[in-house]
Amino acid sequence: MTHVNRLRDYLRHPFWLAIALLVAAYIVFEFGVAYLPPLFGVRSAPIPDSVLLQYLITAAVGILIYVSDNEERWKRFKEPVGTLLVDPGLRWLRTALLVLVPLAVGWLTYSQVRPGVAAPVQLRSIHPAPPTSISFRGRTIRLTGLENPLRADGSIEEDYEVGKRVYYGNCLPCHGDLLDGNGHYAHGFNPPPLAFTDNGTIPQLTESFVFWRIAKGGPGLPTEGTPWNSAMPAWEPILTEDEIWAVTIFLYEQTGWTPRTWEHEGEAGAEGGHD
Amino acid sequence: MTSGRDALRTAGLVVGAGSLVLAAADPAWAQAAEGIREYGNFPVIGSRAAVWIAAQVHLMFAAFVLGVPMFAVVTEAIGIFGKDARYDRLSKEFTRLLLIAYSATALWGATLTFLLITLYPRFMSHLTGIFETSIWVYVGLFFVESATLYIYYYGWERWKEGRAKIFHWSLGILLNVWGTAVLFIADSWLSYMMSPPAEVTADTAPAQVQFWSAFANATWMPINIHRLIANVVFGGSIVAAYAAYRFLAARSEDERRHYDWMGYVGNFIAIGALIVLPFAGYWLGREIYEYNQAMGITMMGGFMSWLWIIQAFLIGVLFLAGNYYLWVGMGRIPGAERFTPYTKWMLLVLIIGVIVWATPHTMIANREELAAMGGTHHPFLGVLGVMSAKNTAVNLMILTTFLSFLLYRRANKRPAVSWSRQGTIVQGGVLGLAAAVVIFYGIYGYFVTAIVRIGFSVYQVLTVLAAMVVVLAVDLFMLRGAESRGAIRWGRMPPRSQYTLIILAVTFTWLMGLMGFARSGIRQHWHIWEVMRDTSQWAATPALGYAGVVISACVLIFLAIVSFVFWIGGLIEKPALARATSEAVGLSPQPAGD
Amino acid sequence: MFMTNLKIAIVVVLTVAGYTLIANMIPQIESEVPEELALSADASAAELVAAGERIFGGAGGCTACHGLGTRAPNLTRSTDGLGPIGARCGDRVPDQDCKTYLYTSLTDPGSYVVDGYNPIMPDADRTLPEDQIWALVAFLQAQGGVVTVTADDLVGASSAATAASAAPAAAATAPSTRDPRQLLNEFGCLACHQLDGQGTAIGPAFTDVGARLDAAAIRESILDPRVEVSAGYEAFANLMPTDFGERMTAAQLEALVDFLAQQR
Repeated sequence: MTHVNRLRDYLRHPFWLAIALLVAAYIVFEFGVAYLPPLFGVRSAPIPDSVLLQYLITAAVGILIYVSDNEERWKRFKEPVGTLLVDPGLRWLRTALLVLVPLAVGWLTYSQVRPGVAAPVQLRSIHPAPPTSISFRGRTIRLTGLENPLRADGSIEEDYEVGKRVYYGNCLPCHGDLLDGNGHYAHGFNPPPLAFTDNGTIPQLTESFVFWRIAKGGPGLPTEGTPWNSAMPAWEPILTEDEIWAVTIFLYEQTGWTPRTWEHEGEAGAEGGHD
Repeated sequence: MTSGRDALRTAGLVVGAGSLVLAAADPAWAQAAEGIREYGNFPVIGSRAAVWIAAQVHLMFAAFVLGVPMFAVVTEAIGIFGKDARYDRLSKEFTRLLLIAYSATALWGATLTFLLITLYPRFMSHLTGIFETSIWVYVGLFFVESATLYIYYYGWERWKEGRAKIFHWSLGILLNVWGTAVLFIADSWLSYMMSPPAEVTADTAPAQVQFWSAFANATWMPINIHRLIANVVFGGSIVAAYAAYRFLAARSEDERRHYDWMGYVGNFIAIGALIVLPFAGYWLGREIYEYNQAMGITMMGGFMSWLWIIQAFLIGVLFLAGNYYLWVGMGRIPGAERFTPYTKWMLLVLIIGVIVWATPHTMIANREELAAMGGTHHPFLGVLGVMSAKNTAVNLMILTTFLSFLLYRRANKRPAVSWSRQGTIVQGGVLGLAAAVVIFYGIYGYFVTAIVRIGFSVYQVLTVLAAMVVVLAVDLFMLRGAESRGAIRWGRMPPRSQYTLIILAVTFTWLMGLMGFARSGIRQHWHIWEVMRDTSQWAATPALGYAGVVISACVLIFLAIVSFVFWIGGLIEKPALARATSEAVGLSPQPAGD
Repeated sequence: MFMTNLKIAIVVVLTVAGYTLIANMIPQIESEVPEELALSADASAAELVAAGERIFGGAGGCTACHGLGTRAPNLTRSTDGLGPIGARCGDRVPDQDCKTYLYTSLTDPGSYVVDGYNPIMPDADRTLPEDQIWALVAFLQAQGGVVTVTADDLVGASSAATAASAAPAAAATAPSTRDPRQLLNEFGCLACHQLDGQGTAIGPAFTDVGARLDAAAIRESILDPRVEVSAGYEAFANLMPTDFGERMTAAQLEALVDFLAQQR
């Protein structure tokens, strides 16, 4: 009973409360995020170290704000620190810290500069900036403002059928028969083939963007955001212009998404960041 | 002039004819062939960094010089029409800072101009070929603006009473008119670089460009508005930092009292204007997308996308520091203790908000972590990486900050009206409803297409704005004639609150540098987007790490010069000011803050 | 006072340093300048070779096979004692100089497949503009040989390319329409056949073709005109192109067949 009371007393003290909160935050971020959602049937994974560090710093700043936004709490928070620095009885702890802190800093520095064999971190932007115009089989196509020409002639069903044949003839092995990026070969690739059923993919893009990605494939990705290792082939030598447009129609018709339209239809484009 | 034009035309043709062989690889080629100097070279740091630093430091001073008159005039008006001499003094002190910063602005402006002429002659001859008239007007405006500023400041004591005071105030308005005109003209040059009118191509000689279409180009007005508001934010935060510095250096209680109050007002202006800044930014982003999708995607999703993660960090710091300053400030307000238990919950909302706001969609991870996540997107936290979550977080953070202000205002007051209880319930209800609407659209946003979702962010923002207007209106009526629970003990502020103000100012300055890099960097290797290529060795747009170093250098240069000029200013005015403030502050028990 | 200033300076510097650190912790991407490969009319041989080298290692994608593994001959090094490609190109085909040989090998790789290799190389003119192909030729010649590509080739190429660019592009890209009347124009049928008073009477008229032939026979006549020749037109049988099967899409062919079968 007295133990519980003592514990409660400790937690009333801002300093120990702060420490407890920081530890709790660490436990939630490190283990909670990874293991709680699966209990409810939601897929999850451990947070990468970079994000964990970011979260912990945020939590630490929050805790610091909490202990210092009130004069009295701040004074009490500083007490143990002051005691540690001057109390003669705590000389051993001071000495221990004096040794341990430099060691910890040294180890941190060492671990940062130690040569390792890890691959460099890869940053991959799924939707890189498209060029203003591309050369398709020797012809220059201006992408900006370009609409799918097949939509203008009003025979979407036919185009859909053409696109369907193109898709099942070429795209199926990787992008899957459900268009969910889960084809037979999908697991061999990193980055995995795009799942068109995901609302973060083709509904975010204009058809001209999709045309560009199909025509130029992985090799045609811009140098920004390297290293790229997309396995997507460039379809320019294989598919005709019309076939690419038709398969674009198929992708949208089949998934039920609507392509992003150009600005004159009144929607903003200022989205898609943080990617 | 004719021969100059011809030379320009020749230069334009040389560039435009596309006769540059592997231009990017060999910048010396064109100038060797035609004998026209295209680029100069700045030693050690290179031309790009030299112009970058000069432009950024100039812009920081210019933002200060243009932002401060806006609220100096408002403060003076409060002094005149509210019959509160304290505000008049404050306004004069703002203007004094202005006076000193003015010459620094001009110096850096000249530095920038000379660097541009010497380092980028081809580009400058193109620009001056189009904008020569507006450049002359610009210079003319400087004369008028300086004259107005001098009369405004030095006539302060002379035109103190009655109609003369109104005349003096109208001088302040005039000062703002000139300042805004100067800003608009300068904006036309840089927005032309981003979004030249469609009819201008690489083959167009400058003389053939229609002046007005180049002047009022696609992004001109959005940039004007964005900068106007940002200038107020920036000016407010620098003034607050100045006050914080003077507070920390103060020797007397009177000085502390005055500068505590000044810091509060400056910070209030900064945070208040900051809340509307995202709308202007949204408009600008929209126009950029509309002008050119490639540019828009470069900005939001392409190689600039990580910039927004850094921006998220900075915005998080702004929110936390802004609220922290208010909460610490409650310590000097009698009656505020009854609100302090709530601050920890507001803090919790803010911290969760910052965590969501700064969660990257694409995470930096090593191989094992990537394997565990099955890609660069976290299977669970990935939902926090998209705009729906971020908009929701930031709107809730704005609401929380607003609530902090509300509590701060309310702290030492006891409403006198009979319906105060119901009023408070209505206020709480409106805020709660707004939060619910924001969260609803945030969650609903996951189930609709991108186009619809973008519309949702507008609804969220409008909800928050409407809620703030309603709550503030109720508050104004409710606190009319309210009893005081005791005057705010100005000057009783712990030093850490003042350091917070300084951190806020540094953060604002850094953020401004970062956004300047974003705006200018999305042009990538173009001097003028798709009209004039940058063929110098500095044509590449640097990575964020390098940009961060340059931005930090700009911030430190700016702050060093600013503290120097303020120190000089303090030396001159110190005795007189101390006297004046002791009169002004000492005699007014009425708390400020509304 | 000094301490206050120092503290402020430390706070400022630490804040700025913190932001700089964050900016440097994230992945660093520089937006590099895309390389311009537009070649001018007065490009020197050295410039052509330099440009060709970049295409060879970059946009051309040549190194994916050449020089890597055994899928294609190594062009930059001597593998069989004959020297690199520049040294051996002139001897590959009798009566053909190095330049022509390399150019043909690039634009029509099926023509000269080196013994022991499979015909897997794609046509370079489907992905590269004419002047860049010439730059590649120059680069390949420079591998142990003499560069004979000059700017004149480029000028010829670019003017020929602009004049002819519509034609090969049209040939490579089938017309998109499925309107049979338009197809008749697109594929030049009315140059020899008559319909509704249009066209020339070199081949049998379309006006009553549905009455004379059924759909299957029409289809066969389009795809393989030599098999069944209408009486009286034997002399002109060789005029009809035999490549419609390659140039039309299946949908276009069927649309055309349906249309013609209805002309009675």
